[in-house]
Amino acid sequence: MSILRGFLWLLGFLILGDILVTLLGLPISRGVAGMLLIAIWLMLHGRLDDDIATASQALIRLLAMLIMPGVVGVFFIADEFAGQWLAVAVALIVGTMLSVLTTLWLMLRFMPKSARSSEESTTKAGHPHE
Amino acid sequence: MSELRDHLLNTPVLAIALTLAAYLAGLKAFEKLGRPSWCPPVLLASLLTAATLWLLSIDYTDYRRGAAWLILLLGPATVALGVPLYQQVHHIRALWRPILISLPPAAMLAAFYSVALAWALGASPRVLASLAPKSVTAPIAIGITEQIGGSIPLMMGGLLITGVMATTCVGFLAKRLRITDQRVLGFVLGVNGHAIGTVRAFELGPTAGAFASLGMSLTGIFTALFLPLAWRVLGV
Repeated sequence: MSILRGFLWLLGFLILGDILVTLLGLPISRGVAGMLLIAIWLMLHGRLDDDIATASQALIRLLAMLIMPGVVGVFFIADEFAGQWLAVAVALIVGTMLSVLTTLWLMLRFMPKSARSSEESTTKAGHPHE
Repeated sequence: MSELRDHLLNTPVLAIALTLAAYLAGLKAFEKLGRPSWCPPVLLASLLTAATLWLLSIDYTDYRRGAAWLILLLGPATVALGVPLYQQVHHIRALWRPILISLPPAAMLAAFYSVALAWALGASPRVLASLAPKSVTAPIAIGITEQIGGSIPLMMGGLLITGVMATTCVGFLAKRLRITDQRVLGFVLGVNGHAIGTVRAFELGPTAGAFASLGMSLTGIFTALFLPLAWRVLGV
């Protein structure tokens, strides 16, 4: 029942987010609004409820499967965007290389040096998305 | 035969079963191939699904209508992302200065570079709107794409390529420039390569993984707030 209670909490925050977005006419999705609300609520509360932890872990593990039907659509849109594929490819490949370089430069420039930065590189951790 | 197929497509059961089966098969194939970072399980599963739809001559829109029952869960799943965000708050408290300075320009430029490049090459407004959220984790990116009028399948394809490209780039640069700071590498992977980069960061180590999740959530939130606003202001 723990997972059901947690799921109900998540639905509650989703509805709350929806209400907030609709009433204030915010240009963000209701899921993101719900995510911010639950994060703020947890910070104020100062403690993570077991039910919410169980339900959110279960759902986050399913994320990759939930986005899959959208990815399948990629194989059926070749005609819709005919003539624009060069623009798309250049934007994605060159754009990503540039943004990786920028972020790396910003982080190296502003991150304080850490004495124990590389010692943890040998330990392995589990995967978040399986 | 086609009558039976149409009958089965009347309920969402077939589409859901197909999605689950393809996803599990994709995971298995991913393990068999030795967990290649350039080919995430989602891509394998999507290829399998697309091939099955084509073989059974099922229309993508019919499949998508059935799968909408699964996609509905993306709402609460997005809310669930607030939990790991809360668990990362101590990193934000400890390093708020470099994070506050680096994140907004990094997230804005990630969108700006690709939109500017595509615009210069004559892409349509719909393509631009589909490329803009390319560094954002999928559940949040779907919301953004709907807000600014992009195509979700095109955005998803862009997301996959961005994740793979970012992971490859960071690996190459880390080796060439001899960067070993787990926090820097993780953050860069999460900000640019969303979930695909975060999975790679967890392979580097727990610190890199934590910073990647942090970079991914903050990029998602920041982009979700600023991109629809920028779109409104620019009037695209």
